[in-house]
Amino acid sequence: MAKTYEITIDGKKCTCEHGEYIWDVAHRNGIKIPALCRHDAFGDHRACCRICLVEVEIKGRRKVVTSCVYPIECECDIYTKSEKVLEERSVVMALLAARSPESEKIQGMAKRMEADTGFERLIKLDNEKCILCGLCVQACNALGTGAISTVNRGTDKEVSTPYDKENISCIGCLSCANVCPTGSIAFEEDAESRTIWNKKFELVKCEKCGEVIGTKESYEFAKKDAKDDNDALVCDACKKKAIADELAATYRLA
Amino acid sequence: MAKTEKLLVCCGTGCIANGAYDVADALEAEIKSRGLDVNVELKVERTGCSGECEAGPIVRLMPRDTMYYKVKPKDAADIIDSLEGEAVQRLLYREGKGKDAKYFEHMQDNPFYAKQHKIVLKDVGVIDPLSLDAYKAVGGYEGLEKALKMTPDEIITEVEKSGLRGKGGAGFPTGRKWRTAAGYDNFPKYIVCNGDEGDPGAFMDGSTMEGSPHAVIEGMIIGALAIGAETGVLYIRDEYALARDHIQHAIDDAYKAGILGDSIMGTDHKLDLSIVRGGGAFVCGESTALMNSIEGKVGEPRPKYIRSVQSGLFEQPTVLNNVESLASIPTILRLGGDEYAKVGTEKSKGTKVFAMVGKVKHTGLVEVPMGTTLRTLIYDIGGGIIGDRPFKAIQTGGPSGGCIPEDLLDLPVDFDTLKEYGAMMGSGGMIVMDDRSCMVEVARYYIDFLCEESCGKCTPCREGLRQMRAILTDICEGRGKEGDIELLERLGHTLEDASLCALGRTAPNPVLTTIKFFRDEYEAHIKEHRCPAGVCAALTSFKIDADKCTGCGLCSRSCPTDAISGEKKEAHVIDTSKCIACGSCREACNFDAIMTEGR
Repeated sequence: MAKTYEITIDGKKCTCEHGEYIWDVAHRNGIKIPALCRHDAFGDHRACCRICLVEVEIKGRRKVVTSCVYPIECECDIYTKSEKVLEERSVVMALLAARSPESEKIQGMAKRMEADTGFERLIKLDNEKCILCGLCVQACNALGTGAISTVNRGTDKEVSTPYDKENISCIGCLSCANVCPTGSIAFEEDAESRTIWNKKFELVKCEKCGEVIGTKESYEFAKKDAKDDNDALVCDACKKKAIADELAATYRLA
Repeated sequence: MAKTEKLLVCCGTGCIANGAYDVADALEAEIKSRGLDVNVELKVERTGCSGECEAGPIVRLMPRDTMYYKVKPKDAADIIDSLEGEAVQRLLYREGKGKDAKYFEHMQDNPFYAKQHKIVLKDVGVIDPLSLDAYKAVGGYEGLEKALKMTPDEIITEVEKSGLRGKGGAGFPTGRKWRTAAGYDNFPKYIVCNGDEGDPGAFMDGSTMEGSPHAVIEGMIIGALAIGAETGVLYIRDEYALARDHIQHAIDDAYKAGILGDSIMGTDHKLDLSIVRGGGAFVCGESTALMNSIEGKVGEPRPKYIRSVQSGLFEQPTVLNNVESLASIPTILRLGGDEYAKVGTEKSKGTKVFAMVGKVKHTGLVEVPMGTTLRTLIYDIGGGIIGDRPFKAIQTGGPSGGCIPEDLLDLPVDFDTLKEYGAMMGSGGMIVMDDRSCMVEVARYYIDFLCEESCGKCTPCREGLRQMRAILTDICEGRGKEGDIELLERLGHTLEDASLCALGRTAPNPVLTTIKFFRDEYEAHIKEHRCPAGVCAALTSFKIDADKCTGCGLCSRSCPTDAISGEKKEAHVIDTSKCIACGSCREACNFDAIMTEGR
């Protein structure tokens, strides 16, 4: 069994295993630490939004760390709301708010963290929602298509396809848009097609009910790994209904 | 007069740019055309950087040790005439002008070299970097031979005794790093050389790799033996073409000579070395971004709280050392750690190489014992400020470093002292500035550099730098506001704590140190709409002091907008409606007659 430690978070006694991240232990104990670039779906966190900063005190020495990736490896005291943490978190939040003036979520968070006053001097980007948390890139990579990435560096960094061109790897699955915390990944959809990352996809529909299943490419991509070799284009709801009907027939419930 | 047996022509990047190859060719042609007497074997060797880059190309006659500066191909005949006779005076190092001029013939007389102590650079500029035999003739690979007879523990103990600390700027004890890596039983392990020197104005590592490539390789082999690595990588920034060529040449020679490969000098030890070309990003000098780059990933630092010695390249134990640290290793093994530790201060042992540039009379590459004061560096070695203008500040450590004012010039330069004052020694870049440098503009320059060179991954660094650049630009252009200094400090302190990697955490240093030491200059910009140094065009107007002006006309000829007029030998005037405040006239004036004031 892994070694366990008795630690305190904001004075509350908590138990954790060796190597557990502060953020995870805090949440298990009902202590909320804000985070933007952290998602439960991924084991590795990018630790780039820097909102989840906390202070750790080990043997009388305090330091600021990123709670989503800081592993607990000894007895320690953690402070998620110390004066220093609140100050630095509000500066980081104000920076994000200036970056993404169009994101309601970010503006709301900034207000709650009192990062909306005292920073009027900061310049705001035009029409920006993206906070460059990189979750979209992580989702795309995790799915195995790797169609988008962060490009450029420094203040010019952005998320895009290679050379901003239509990318053959993209399957139009919308994973990137769905995981985005600020809704900044734009896509257009009509009855027949979906356009995202400068690429237009044909939509496929359920043979039974006519509901949109997804893009042709994403359907093919998902089917590649599926054990089911039934070629019929059927949506999840209809599949479930078919199984339920079969069960009902078997038990003569109808 | 001793016979000249060798002519050494400095062929460092700086000297090549100034025509060193042409000089070497001219000397060779001259020797050939004279069919020189058979008793004297003359040889022109092309060496690495001799240090005084600003005075290149440099030709050195050996063994009589006569150094000629700023040599042109047409000087070849005079130089060959002087081989056994009087030195050619006009090519010697000179201090002072006219009747008071003093000439220095030998390297050790020259004040630029007199206070230096060369360990890393001892062979740079002395031997032909493309010759393995030349390196061996000066004790090369003797350190390795010794190491091969030692256990890893003994090697590490020797390095620990030397007190060597990472010369890339962080100052982490090299011996401790090696010992930690040696302690892991997780193979393969890697040794990586960080040759991604990216600070503006720094060229220590580049010159070392160019001038003494085998020293770096020998250091890596010894490190590999100590930690148990069989693969090593040299990550060299792509702009360093000559360094890369010389290192590759040295690696090839070392393989041929059985120094690298499956059997190091006939033993059972193995090591393969290869070069990875950096992609030209400043951030790739950061250890984990560098490793990502070698792995073919995006050059962004890794967020993990795990050290590279435990999980580095390809998540295996990895030792990453800077070029200068590795080049110090052969000497430490050859002479012993105790001998090395005699040089330097109590906590910073050995020497440090600096690339000294800017408004100092003698720019170039200098190596001094740790603990040498900045004043010695600037005034004794550098010869003082150009035009004997007042010194204002020295920028050390590049974009991660700080600006140090005059009253701190007597501090010893080592890993710890400058940090206590909010500056840092850094990797060794030093830019000297005189009273005509605006400290706000200097801070803006570095922040602008970092805005482009930050990887852009984490919020504080990317967004914080963007905002700091905007505020600093506003201040320089006359739009500064009350509260800007405090906001800059607030942003800066957050960057120091909240950024993901060391680049971001040190990025605010240029701003925080200039505010700390030159706050009045920021205030003059914001409150008085005046740039005290007369640099920021929006806040400066130029005027000619009629009492000082001699009417020589130099200013009007240098003015790009024809804003200056006046009769010969009479005081000139500046038409402020045409003046763009570029400062060319002030640079041109020999009589200090151009005055600046606010707008």
